[in-house]
Amino acid sequence: MIQLLAITDDRSSPAPPLRAVPCGDLTAIYAPAVEDSAGADALWRHEELVESLMETRDLLPVRFGTLLADEEAIAQAVGERGGQLAGRLELVRGAVELALRVADREPATTIRSGAATGTEYMQLQASRVRSGRLIHDELAALGRDSATLPGPELLRAAYLVERSGVDAFVARVRKLQEANPELVLICTGPWPPYSFAEGERA
Amino acid sequence: MSSAIADRDTALVDLVDRLLGGGVVIAGDITLSVADVDLVYVNLRALVSSVATAQEKQIMPRMGSAL
Repeated sequence: MIQLLAITDDRSSPAPPLRAVPCGDLTAIYAPAVEDSAGADALWRHEELVESLMETRDLLPVRFGTLLADEEAIAQAVGERGGQLAGRLELVRGAVELALRVADREPATTIRSGAATGTEYMQLQASRVRSGRLIHDELAALGRDSATLPGPELLRAAYLVERSGVDAFVARVRKLQEANPELVLICTGPWPPYSFAEGERA
Repeated sequence: MSSAIADRDTALVDLVDRLLGGGVVIAGDITLSVADVDLVYVNLRALVSSVATAQEKQIMPRMGSAL
């Protein structure tokens, strides 16, 4: 088995041990060695490989653990979706993904005990949820696309941002953090555009 | 714990979201079983409390990233 990592339309050869398979107008890049673990270390190894590819190419990252029999199987599987994948690649071209999580700085129990009444607590909660939504709207306006992801925080989101716009995005996150000291904003990236590789998250 | 490892722990939630929940899904592939994915999340649960501490740093750079 071989592990599919990314789909690109860049024709340059990836650095060993990675290899490329032509799939019509697209090129699929795979690792000949298969991760037999899904632990954090294996995920990071995978991520480092895809990030190294992303430095010099526009690409669609493939979901972790996508194993195929051989190059032929890759060419066939990718070829079947060639037109759709090429369209997706255009949507992410020149952009990277930034991740944001927004959470309460204080644990819920502290917020609850700080509220004089149940009503006040509900109002506090509503205001935090609203803050999360406003933060999302402001950051979404800086990106080409955005998506909210499921999670326990007030906001867990992904933004598709121009490579040249990353610094401005991070500067805006810092400003929003200063303006919302009761919240914690955690921004990570740049990631390959995982959250924008399919039309809808499967 | 070195700061690089702390950053990785903080970013691990985002990593799992992306590698296991995002990306191109190729038809006919062999992907991780649900049990494998659950295992990753179980391991993550132990990290959630340490993330709360790391959040004091507010904006987390990841290793070798532009942030």
